[in-house]
Amino acid sequence: MGSRALLLVKGVSSSSLPKNQLFYNFNCKSNFPRPNNWVRTNCSTTQSSGPSLEPPDLPRLAQTARISLTPHEVEEFAPKIGLVIDWFGQLQDVDLQSVEPSIRADTEGDSFRADIPETFENREAMIAAVPNYEEPYIKVPKVLNKE
Amino acid sequence: MISTLQPPRSLSHFRSNPTLLLRYASLKPLSSLSSQPVTHSTITDQSQSPNPPSHSQILSTRHSLLSRHLTATQLAESFLTRLRLTEPHLRSFLHVSDSVLAQARELDEKIQRNEELGPLAGVLVAIKDNICTAEMPSTAGSRVLEGYTPPYDATAVRKIKELGGIVVGKTNLDEFGMGSTTEASAYQVTANPWDISRVPGGSSGGSAAAVSARQCMVSLGSDTGGSVRQPASFCGVVGLKPTYGRVSRFGLMAYASSLDVIGCFGTSVADAGILLHAISGHDRLDATSSKREVPDFSAQFVSMNLLESKPLKGLRIGLIRETLDDGVDTGVTSAVRTAALHLEELGCCVTEVSLPSFSLGLPAYYILASSESSSNLSRYDGVRYGNQVAADELNSQYMDSRAKGFGSEVKRRILTGTYALSAGYYDAYYKRAQQVRTVIQKSFKTALDEHDILISPAAPSAAYKIGEKKNDPLAMYAVNVNLAGLPALVLPCGFVEGGPAGLPVGLQMIGAAFDEGKLLKVAHILSRHCRIADLFLH
Repeated sequence: MGSRALLLVKGVSSSSLPKNQLFYNFNCKSNFPRPNNWVRTNCSTTQSSGPSLEPPDLPRLAQTARISLTPHEVEEFAPKIGLVIDWFGQLQDVDLQSVEPSIRADTEGDSFRADIPETFENREAMIAAVPNYEEPYIKVPKVLNKE
Repeated sequence: MISTLQPPRSLSHFRSNPTLLLRYASLKPLSSLSSQPVTHSTITDQSQSPNPPSHSQILSTRHSLLSRHLTATQLAESFLTRLRLTEPHLRSFLHVSDSVLAQARELDEKIQRNEELGPLAGVLVAIKDNICTAEMPSTAGSRVLEGYTPPYDATAVRKIKELGGIVVGKTNLDEFGMGSTTEASAYQVTANPWDISRVPGGSSGGSAAAVSARQCMVSLGSDTGGSVRQPASFCGVVGLKPTYGRVSRFGLMAYASSLDVIGCFGTSVADAGILLHAISGHDRLDATSSKREVPDFSAQFVSMNLLESKPLKGLRIGLIRETLDDGVDTGVTSAVRTAALHLEELGCCVTEVSLPSFSLGLPAYYILASSESSSNLSRYDGVRYGNQVAADELNSQYMDSRAKGFGSEVKRRILTGTYALSAGYYDAYYKRAQQVRTVIQKSFKTALDEHDILISPAAPSAAYKIGEKKNDPLAMYAVNVNLAGLPALVLPCGFVEGGPAGLPVGLQMIGAAFDEGKLLKVAHILSRHCRIADLFLH
């Protein structure tokens, strides 16, 4: 899905787009790359050919991120996050076809220790920080199945 | 060095006597919190040795203690007094240790018994509050960790303590390091010692302000996208961001793990280098820490001949063209260009270098940082870490604990990162950003094959007013360096108009990976170059 989504937005320069239209167009399920007039495509009349990058759906994101948001926060955050994501879009323009991704700077580290469990010295202090502890369990409220 | 950069209304008549200096501190109005160090100049001036120590507070402290000019207790008392006087105006600290004097007394007893002293003996160090300390609260500036005391010291803190350093307290920051003004702390806003109506920068604003106001001698910060370098520039101190992997991050509360490093603040290049040396090296508790040998950075400060007319002869310096474009204050540009001239006078060959990929770094940085933060901060759920909200069901407990504990900026970044990492979006955002990282690493590599050091402004402006730019976007100067994992040092290089005494401007010097030694050498020589000092003295 990712690579197809990428195709769909390729050629979009966030700077060349009106901010409020970019998201709208992220909703279009079937835009083919048309570098110059991509924005003008009418979403409702085109046929769906695959998934695309949806604009942020704040309540859903909040659920995924496990953060309760007040209605006020949803209203306040949505446009701000939208603008940032819009601005991320400029990277879609860049030709990175043959570039390897770097997960971090090369540290010449790669010094993983042996995969053998070790006991943390100050276990008591860690356990003392647990709000609700009943040897040997950390107590949490019931886990409901929401399905 | 910094003392030569500071406004000249200083205190030469107070220098010889610590008690007078303290009186000075208490007499001065608020606006001059930026004034000269109290004890530092005292120590340097009192030491009558034929080779007086440099401007290094660390070396001066050692000298004073070993020569019995001052006791560790006197030193600590002097700093604590100054801290108490200035803190109501600056609010650099979230927590001040109550055992500083006891530790100083213990050290004095060791000195009495002629026991060997660690290289940081008696050095007063402040620690950014996202770095864990076993006996002090560590909140990362967040309500979610209010009252939390970790069960261990971060490796960097442990090393400082083992070498004799005394931790003064924990400094304020933007919550979890997310910000560049320190206004996003859940607890308090820190003021800039040069003008208390202005921000100290961030996110390590408390650590920068504390060193600038001489509330401590040196401090630790962390730098994910400029969080050591930009506040160093705003507060007129030396800020050193080491190579990614040089310093163990065990005990640093993770924000964006592919970018985070622990860095150093000092009032001299030497102090920043000595502190870096103290905390560097491989740590089995951090698999990203490098096994490279740590050179003795202090060798850079003693062996050079300052009388030599061209001590930096043959050094190739690249001035990054893209960082002097529109959007940079003219005062900043001219301070940086002047510094480039001074480097030429010292024998360097300065040329402009273009890094066209620079502008891509900012969105790439933001994608990586927000994505990684959404993952890293998942541990603050009220069960594993963080204050718990009562709920009758686990998921609501997670959601409500996080809702109550996190500030707006943190929530927004987590949500943005959650979006970027949504199923199916990885290639479009996170992977692209990692590819941009490769491009930027390569362009730095090319530039650093042709140049020994690259220079740029540390920030596009001097410190701005509190409340003026809460949502200031991060400057590209800083973040590209994090993407490439390179070391960079910020050195005060001039002033612009503003505040009661002008506002400092920092020069950023970027080196090749693990080449902190060269950065320290060049910065040290540049800072001791007397004509720069002339320039700064009105």
